[in-house]
Order: sequence, then C-alpha cells, then structure tokens
Amino acid sequence: MLKFPLRFIGMLIGLMISVVGCSSDLSDNQVLTLRLGAEPSMLNPILSTDSPSSSVNGYVFSGLLKVTPELELEPDLAESYTVSADGLVYLFNLKQNIKWHDGEAFTAHDVKYTYDMILNPSTNTVRRSDYIIDGKAVEFKVLDEYTLQIRMHKPYAPLLNRLTMGIIPEHIFEVTDINTAKENQNPIGTGPYKFKQWETSQFVLLEANEAYYDEPPKIKKIIMKIIPDNNTALISFEKEEILSSGIPGKDFKRIAKNDLFNTYRYYDLAYTYLGLNCKHPLFSNKNVRKALAMSIDKRSIVDGILLGYGKPAHIPTSPEMWTYPKKPFFYDYNKKEALKILAEEGYIFDKEKNILSKDDTPVTFKIITNKGNKDRELAATLIQKNLKEIGIEVSIQLMEWSSFIAIVNEHVDPKKFDAVILGWSLGLDPDAYSLWHSREYPRGFNFVGYSNSDVDDFLVMGRKELDREERKMIYEKMYEEIAMDVPYIFLYYPESLVGLNKIIQGVSPAGPAGLLNPIENIYLIEK
Amino acid sequence: MIRYISQRLLALLPMLLGVTFIAFIIMKAAPGDPVGMFMDPSVNLEDIDRIRSNLGFDKPILIQYLMWLKNVLMGNFGYSLISGKPALQAILERLPATLLLSVSSLCLILLITFPLGILCGYKKDTPIDDGITVFSFLGLSMPSFWLGLMLILLFSYQLDLFPTSGFMNPLLYGEPFYKKAGNILYHMCLPLLTIMIGGIAGLTRYNRFGIIKILGQDYITAARARGVSESRILFKHAFKNILLPIITLLGLDLPGLISGSYIIEFIFSWPGMGQLAIQSVFQRDYPILMAVILLSSILIIIGTLIADICYAYIDPRITKKGKS
Repeated sequence: MLKFPLRFIGMLIGLMISVVGCSSDLSDNQVLTLRLGAEPSMLNPILSTDSPSSSVNGYVFSGLLKVTPELELEPDLAESYTVSADGLVYLFNLKQNIKWHDGEAFTAHDVKYTYDMILNPSTNTVRRSDYIIDGKAVEFKVLDEYTLQIRMHKPYAPLLNRLTMGIIPEHIFEVTDINTAKENQNPIGTGPYKFKQWETSQFVLLEANEAYYDEPPKIKKIIMKIIPDNNTALISFEKEEILSSGIPGKDFKRIAKNDLFNTYRYYDLAYTYLGLNCKHPLFSNKNVRKALAMSIDKRSIVDGILLGYGKPAHIPTSPEMWTYPKKPFFYDYNKKEALKILAEEGYIFDKEKNILSKDDTPVTFKIITNKGNKDRELAATLIQKNLKEIGIEVSIQLMEWSSFIAIVNEHVDPKKFDAVILGWSLGLDPDAYSLWHSREYPRGFNFVGYSNSDVDDFLVMGRKELDREERKMIYEKMYEEIAMDVPYIFLYYPESLVGLNKIIQGVSPAGPAGLLNPIENIYLIEK
Repeated sequence: MIRYISQRLLALLPMLLGVTFIAFIIMKAAPGDPVGMFMDPSVNLEDIDRIRSNLGFDKPILIQYLMWLKNVLMGNFGYSLISGKPALQAILERLPATLLLSVSSLCLILLITFPLGILCGYKKDTPIDDGITVFSFLGLSMPSFWLGLMLILLFSYQLDLFPTSGFMNPLLYGEPFYKKAGNILYHMCLPLLTIMIGGIAGLTRYNRFGIIKILGQDYITAARARGVSESRILFKHAFKNILLPIITLLGLDLPGLISGSYIIEFIFSWPGMGQLAIQSVFQRDYPILMAVILLSSILIIIGTLIADICYAYIDPRITKKGKS
C-alpha cells in the first residue's frame, strides 16, 4: 500500500529536478518582469477603472496627450495643439504615419470615435460625464485625417487632463458591442508595447512595438505577473523573479540596505481622512468639528501606522500637486484648547469619569471604515484612543467594501453614518467639484453634506479659469476655507515605497507618474 | 437501478430552480452592486445610475431572476460585469488549473491517509499512533495561509528549490508539451504540499476513528476467534467498512474539487476557481456568481448521487433495504 505513493512522489521530485533549469529563462536580458496586484478587468481604457488594467493599458494605448514624470502634459498622438483665445476651441494636429498594432493607419477618426463611444449612453463607462460640461457634451470634430477640433460651450480647465485618455481603434470596435467585445481581452493600441498574451490570473505578456512612432522601446518583452498576495510578491521580488515591487513600510529599511535593489519613496496623489457627517447633530456645529480636529494627534498616526512613511494631511490635495500651498492652513494638535472650545459650545467634561456630555447626554459616535484596509483600521483605533482622552466614546465598525460604499452613497438625507474613514486618489487636475460642491449632496460624493457657498464659487471658478497661476490661487483659497470648516479631519498623505532591481536603468525621478515612465527609456543591464 | 438514477436526476430540476432562486435573492439582498464600487472623485453618480439601468439592475428582482433563467435555458450564462467575459468562459478557463491541484492533492491525500489511518487505528495507543497523532494535530492547527508563506520562505527563498508562485513560466508557451507539463508540476509542488499537510492531518484522524470503531465490532472479534489472519481481518473485513463514511465525504467533496481553495490560490498566485468565486462575491459580479452556484449545486447533487450508488455497490444491504 505504501509503495505506490512513495514511488509516485519520487517520480514527481525527479520530474521537478529535471525542469528546474527552465526557471532561469526569466533573467533574460530582454524581459522586464513586473507585478500586477490583481487580475486586470478589461484591457480597454474607456471601460476599465481598476489599476491593474490601467498599468497594462498605459503601455498598449496612447492618448492625445501624455503625462511627463514632472506631471506636466505633453503631446503624444498629437503633434501639437492650440487653444483659442476664449478657451472654447482646441485644435489638435495629429502625428502622421502612426500605425495601430495590427498595421491599420491611425487617423483623427479614431480619436473622434473613442470620445463618441465614451459619450454614447449605452457604453458602460463611468468616464462619460468627464466630457459633459453643465449638461452639454464636448464636441469632437474631424477637420481632416490628421486634424481634430474640440469645441465646448464654456471654458473648462479640467478637460485638458482628460485628453490623456487612451484612444481605441474604430476599425475594431465599430463591428462589435464594446461592452462585451473579445478585443477587450486582446487589445490593439498604438502604444510602445503590443499586446501578446493574457493568461487568466497568471500574467500579461507584451512585446515591443518596433513600429512605434516615438523612440522604440529598448526592452523587447514585458511580463506582468499577477501576484495577488503582497507577502508572496515581496519574496518574489527578493528572489529576483519580479524586478519591481511595492515595499511594505516594515520591510523598507531592510530592502534599502540590500545591494541588489534600489528603493524609492514619493507621495501619492492621495490622502486619507476622517469624514464627519455634517448633518449629524454632533458634527453640524463647526466648532465641535474644529475641536475634534485639534484632539487628534496626526503625527502619531503617521508614525504609528505608516512608520513615518508619510506626513500629516491638512488640506484636500497632495504635496505632489502644483496647487499645494507653501503653508497650508491647519489647527494645531491641542487638547486643552479643544476642551475650551467644547466648553464654550456647552459641552461639559467630567474629568473624574472621563466623560464629555451635553445636556446630560454623553457624547458618542461611530466610525465606519472598510474591512481589510489595515491602515484605516489602525487609524480608527488611534482616533478612538485620542478622543477617549477628551471623554468622547467612539465605537468602530468595520464593513465589507460594497456594504460600506452602499451606506455612504445611499441617496438619503441625512445619511446613515456618523463618521467614515476613507481615502481619495486624486487626478492630475485639481478640480474637486464632485467632492465639495453643495449640489453633490445627497446624490454625489459630497456624502458628508458639506455646504459653503464660497467653496461652491471657488469650485466653479477653478473650472473656468485656464491660467495656471490664477487657478492655483483659487484652489489655495478653497483649501484654506475647507481646512477651517473641517468637514473632513484630514489624516495623512501616504508615501509610495517602491523597490526596483538594480538591473533596471533609465528610471525617472520618483513621483506619482511612475518610475518606469516613459517606458521607452527603460533598459536592463547585465549583472 | 436505471429507474432510480433517472428519478434522482429528475428531482434535480426543481431543486436547482429552488437553489438558484434563493441564491439570487440572497445575492441581490447583499448591499451594494458592482457599479456602486467606483469610488473615485472623477466618477459622476449619473454615470453609475446610467450603467445600472443599462445592466437592468433597476428592474424588480423577480424579473431579473426570470431574465437570468431564460438566458440560462438558452445556454447564455451572461457576461461578467467586471471583465465583460462570458461567464461560462471565465469559469472554464480556470477549471484545468483548479482540477489539477484539487484532484492530485485528493489522490495523494487518500493514498497517504489510508495506510496512515489504518496503522494508527490498528496500533492504537502505541508510540507510532501517538507520533502520527501529534503530527496530524500539528497539521490541523496550522492555518494554510501561514503554512503556505512559511513553505515559500523555506523552499523557495532560503533553499531556492521552487518558484515562489505562479502556474507556469510565461516564456514556455511555445515549447513542447513535456517541458510545459514539467514546469507546471514544478510550480505546483508548494501549493500541493500546503494542501496536503492540512488534508492528510484531517483524514488520518478520520480513518483512525473509523478503524478503531470497526475493530471493536463483534464480527471482527468473531473472525479473530475463528483464527482469521490479522491482515485478512484488516484488509478484507474492516477495509470495506471504513470506506463507507469516506465515500460520503468524497461525494460531498466533488464540488470542492472545482471550487478550488481561495487562500492557497491567493498566496501561490494559482489561477484557480477559488479566486474567481471569492472575487465575484466581493465585486458583486452576479453572472459569474450565479454560474458558480449553479455549477456547484449540480455537482453537489451529482456527488451525493454517485456516493449513494457507490454505497449500494460496497454495502449490498443498502439497496436491499430500499427494495423491501
């Protein structure tokens, strides 16, 4: 009885040893092996919203404009563009002789088709309203094969950043239903890399596009391995199976000391916050919100949770954004002052029992956040501890993401939560109409119900103003206004910690645009 | 027998209708939907509502269920709401990797646990039994996510014997079959080992109890009294009887073979069904979820049917009872 399994296991081991040699192929000099944290959804830039898909789409597709490592825009498929004096008409001259990966010629019709598809209500894309200004769609008009006119009925500064959208081929999609087309798994683009193969839950393989209109990429193949588990990915990186990986804070110092790797850190275009439901009886008072903000020790959250890889946040933008002011407004961490403000508002702090109460009712509220995000879970605990010190009893509820979002986005007034911990990832444009405008409540992402007519005005002005310096001033004023009102208690700006194997060369300065941007500059050296 | 099987298969239809209907309602009752997941300041809620109505989510649940049923009867399981792939294709393309891992681990576990369990039960309360018992408790108490990571650290990182994760080297796709098969086996070792350690532990205990119970029965004592040899008692008289509960277990395990193991697949980046099923729950990918539920209910029903038939084959008393 025992003989068979032993022989079988022996055979297995024998087979394995005979194939061990195969695994060394990945160190091939022409292959860049990267990691994707999850299976991409669709390799179609107008439909997908997840970051693995964007990572792949970024190499396969190109847009009219692209983002430089300095977070500036520059022409990509476009040769050049002009903006009319009134800011209503953009004229794009496209590069000629660009070919799709299947050999067809790229023309202005493809650009128009892409944007028309986004604007088509039956396309299941969430990008449609990006190209609709006050209910009127932006018009895309082909003047000739290589000239495209974009016209809107009022000036709209955020549009330019939205023209980085990857352009999809008309000749492929005009004959299928774009929502379920096979080509969403087998994309044809104009980018530096051609799509070659996608094995479900295993990898996406890309090949250099030799006919690329710009400088052809140096690395012949990119393998993007799908490795969902962060621990596995880190070991895989240390074993040099993948050449790039995000590094958890606790491992950053160790990896940085390793001769095999270079490490980088930079601020994401993101912030994490405690959102206070401004329609809640407790939080409807601005001074109470202010006192709460003064009772939370953001520094200890950054040190305790992010291990110092980040910094306390005070305003709704990122330190990497051009609108970030030199000296952002914030309330100092000061419990005494906070208690004084609360006392002025009629809240009584019983030092012995350690209870804050008003009209004999103890002050309590509940923070909800999504389960599985350890940073947010820990932040909630630290906030709970901080507020306990001024006698406020905070309870925490962790919820599965969909259920959590369903509560936050439910179309009711008032919303059924007290406070939430969430984070926003920001686009390259500072426009934040959907987060702060009073019209975005109760339907919209202003789920905290914030309402300030000055902020509403700044948001509208910021969209209209095309001059960068003017815009910067508008947003600086808006940030200050929001920081003073405290609809959110901004918690921290997280840092991205990234490790690259030293054989990767041609890397850009660390920043949210990515280290391997532009990918054409990246090459590998022999060890 | 044929009448019995066809009767059972007929009973399958109302059961499936009931299961899918209940599953559909529970699924829809869970808060949130795939469209509501876009939490991005650049996304407008109008777009979300528009997509919701494009997908028919604004219709009453009963209508949605009937639409789903009608499509399934016409052979259309719908399209994934996340990837846009046909649901059946999304499942089928994950089946080979899932079956490879689950079937091979099950076979190996059975092959190892039978002798181990019998040995344990037969040598009850001896150092051999104690030793194996300690090992099986160790195996049982180690969570697979931890064990998996430890195995990766030891065998892959420290000893450099195996790759950390994955299914096959992406650059081997054009290569001959034996090379690919070898490479897959090579990638499979660590996940297989992780599953086996937990599985062996559990089933050994199960077999041990089975054999102890049977060896205490009167007919064994009678056989011993008649002077039947110990090996004959063990392998002829006792063995068939410990098969009975195992068959029930295996029958119920049939859907487990295709459902995969989320934790193992997640840690080892194994392209299996477990990841698909769990993700479709979290992403509220209804078509995929319904297809998975339908498939596993069919397999559970078929699994118990096969187990019943095997019972009858191994223990003739069962069919006789049924007839009388």
